[in-house]
Amino acid sequence: MPYISQLMGRPIADIDGEVIGSLSEILAHKVGEVSHPKIVAIEAKKGSHTLMIPIADVAVLIGPAIALHKRKSHIVPYKPDEDDLYLIRDVLDKQIIDTNGVRVVRVNDLQLTRIENDYFIANVDTSSSGLLRRLGLDAISKRLPNKGKRSAPTGNISWDDVELLSIDQPMRLKVPREKLAELHPADLAEILSDLSRQEGRDILESLDIETLADTLEEVEPDFQVSLLEGMPNERVADVLEEMEPDEAADLLAELPKDRSQELLQLMEDEEAQDVRKLLTYPDDTAGGIMTTGYITIPPDITAEQAMVVLRQLSKEAEVYYYIYITDSQNHLLGVLSLRELVLAEPQTKVSDIMEKRVVTVHLEDTQDECAQIIAKYNLIAIPVVDDDNQLHGIVTADDAIDKIIPTAWKKRLPRLYH
Amino acid sequence: MNAYHLFWKRLRPYRTRLALLLAVIGPGIITANVDNDAGGITTYSVAGGNYGYGLLWMMPLVLIALIIVQEMSARLGVVTGKGLADLIRESLGVRLTTLILSLLVIVNLANTVSEFAGVAASMEIFGVSKYISVPVAAFVVWLLIFRGNYKTTERIFLVASSIYLAYIISGILAKPDWSEVGKAFYTPTFNLNIEFVTLFVTIIGTTIAPWMQFYQQASIVDKGIQVEDYGYEVLDVVVGSIFAVVVAAFIVIACAATIYKQGIRIETAKDAAMALGPLAGKYAQTLFALGLLNASLFSAAILPLSTSYSVCEAFGWESSLSKNIKDAKVFFIIYTALIVVGALCILLPIKSLIRAMMASQTLNGILLPIILIVMLHLINDRRIMGNFAMNRWFNILVWITVILLILLALILVVVSVFPVLFR
Repeated sequence: MPYISQLMGRPIADIDGEVIGSLSEILAHKVGEVSHPKIVAIEAKKGSHTLMIPIADVAVLIGPAIALHKRKSHIVPYKPDEDDLYLIRDVLDKQIIDTNGVRVVRVNDLQLTRIENDYFIANVDTSSSGLLRRLGLDAISKRLPNKGKRSAPTGNISWDDVELLSIDQPMRLKVPREKLAELHPADLAEILSDLSRQEGRDILESLDIETLADTLEEVEPDFQVSLLEGMPNERVADVLEEMEPDEAADLLAELPKDRSQELLQLMEDEEAQDVRKLLTYPDDTAGGIMTTGYITIPPDITAEQAMVVLRQLSKEAEVYYYIYITDSQNHLLGVLSLRELVLAEPQTKVSDIMEKRVVTVHLEDTQDECAQIIAKYNLIAIPVVDDDNQLHGIVTADDAIDKIIPTAWKKRLPRLYH
Repeated sequence: MNAYHLFWKRLRPYRTRLALLLAVIGPGIITANVDNDAGGITTYSVAGGNYGYGLLWMMPLVLIALIIVQEMSARLGVVTGKGLADLIRESLGVRLTTLILSLLVIVNLANTVSEFAGVAASMEIFGVSKYISVPVAAFVVWLLIFRGNYKTTERIFLVASSIYLAYIISGILAKPDWSEVGKAFYTPTFNLNIEFVTLFVTIIGTTIAPWMQFYQQASIVDKGIQVEDYGYEVLDVVVGSIFAVVVAAFIVIACAATIYKQGIRIETAKDAAMALGPLAGKYAQTLFALGLLNASLFSAAILPLSTSYSVCEAFGWESSLSKNIKDAKVFFIIYTALIVVGALCILLPIKSLIRAMMASQTLNGILLPIILIVMLHLINDRRIMGNFAMNRWFNILVWITVILLILLALILVVVSVFPVLFR
């Protein structure tokens, strides 16, 4: 299959053999449901003169010279559309997101494919052999057949898996980011950490509140802050509401005081209250890492009734494998696992089946202690109580081990320069 | 509300502004600090020691040029949010990128060699053989970056950079004749002998080194400084540049007032430090040596880092300091190779370390006009810069600078190829 680099600079001649110029740009356009853009025009350049030739007028595209089947004077110049992609100007040599490999790579070349009489962009070449081809050192890359073969699968990315970064366009063509929104938030966060902050902000702008909140939760606090710098307060407040209260509190703690106060004012009262409470505890204590996204039920209802409550509340809860039983003063009485609740006879009272000896941590216990207890008792989450055994929140296993076993991408130094 | 609270409330706008300033400031000042590296200190010492105050008149001009160049790099970084290597690749294509970056790698390798020469020289003042100091330094630098925390490392070096103030103190301790110094600033001297022209280009090359634009722009991008804060960034650049050149001028003054006056000819920063001892006191000597060691180590860490970062940025290879080498193989290889080769060159039985050091700074002076032309091309591109493209007067100013630099580089080439003509 031919590459765009092989077409660049090729002479273009009309049907009489007159050389109109050499190829300087290729325009492509997404047509219908096909995700691969179709080539719609090529640009011929001679001196400072350029001519956009519709692809329909091209007789031979792939060859030592590009031949047209019209006379130069008969060509009706192609009028570029807003959505047209300038392959050489806007794609070649630029950074793109490989949504399959979850990384940011640079486009060394573009591979074309012909289907019937149309040309489509098949793959993006990011390999070293693509680089050598651009340098005119094809021979070398061919002489290293092994290396070529080995790098081929990693270097060629199907256009299906590619997302463009639109930051270059002064008019900001709004590229829909469907592929990005489908990624796991942790992957999205990893991509963000590979991009410059400006590009990162640009991508965040295109995400919906929910994805944005999930993604931010995966990003390191100081990086979060710089990503939120340019974002309007209303949007940030919406995001904070969507985030888990503990994550929201961590983020607010990183922001300048004036701004975090403004944001708390903008948030819905209920969410703001949770976050305010969490903000009062030091970072590395159970109080600091706990979340308020848990489910409580009174002791005197039946298992069946409990299931109803569970269905209503599960959306707000981060953890619903454990259901905590509290009295009216919020004292922790017992715990029930989801499994126990589901398997219980519908009419049994919750207080009869609950585990009364609950393993808890105190608000001021350290993160290390939480992690150790969670590991010892094989828990998914552990309730946090005060001196009076009142329930304040829960610490989830992932939050507790976060400091001990950092997530893979956290291991690499956050940024190269500061 | 009591008076105290009212006071703070009144101050709020200023406090916010100060906080903003502190958040933005950094890249310019750090770059300027790294700028006075081993090569720089040596060059300024030799300039002062061998020509007295004769070259001081260059300093204000070099300062202006430095501010202009670093401002361009800051503007490119703030407006585009991209590194210089990135911009070069995106607007000049693969071939020119390969050419420019190959040159950058060669020049930066030469610079790294000179940093290790600086380590060797400064440790020799304390009586440590280069066969011990250089391998240890290379290993420490490598380990600091790959196994340590870059942020902490940088802070340690930055605090240590206050040692640069030592040069200002050394200059004052040397008791120069201030009226003579003042006069030197507006009395240009120039002659066509090879040594003089080389020194001339070298001073420019060491003060406005090409890697600085790459490094500063990368750190601006990394800090995510936004267009609204551009004014603060310019302040950062100007303050940094002034600091760098003032320190440079004081090194010249210190050496001119002592070594030149005594008629001693020096070849290295080590000679300079040794000569300073009896003339300006033991403290001046030790401070001078410590300053040189710190500068050499800091730059020996940052130069290879900045180089491999630029190369990977241009070619789209993964660059990270991840502990998993597989993730960023090329980055790791370039970084390690620069340090290893740089250190090995010093261990070879080369007669004159100083020649190697000065040569690397001269190479800077030759690469600089190329980088400047590229930057001019980028900064005038409205597609990239929008309304932040250069205005005409600024353009003329930069072009004059570039043409002068090219002329100087040409003179240097001619003078070195036909030295006989100018003896």
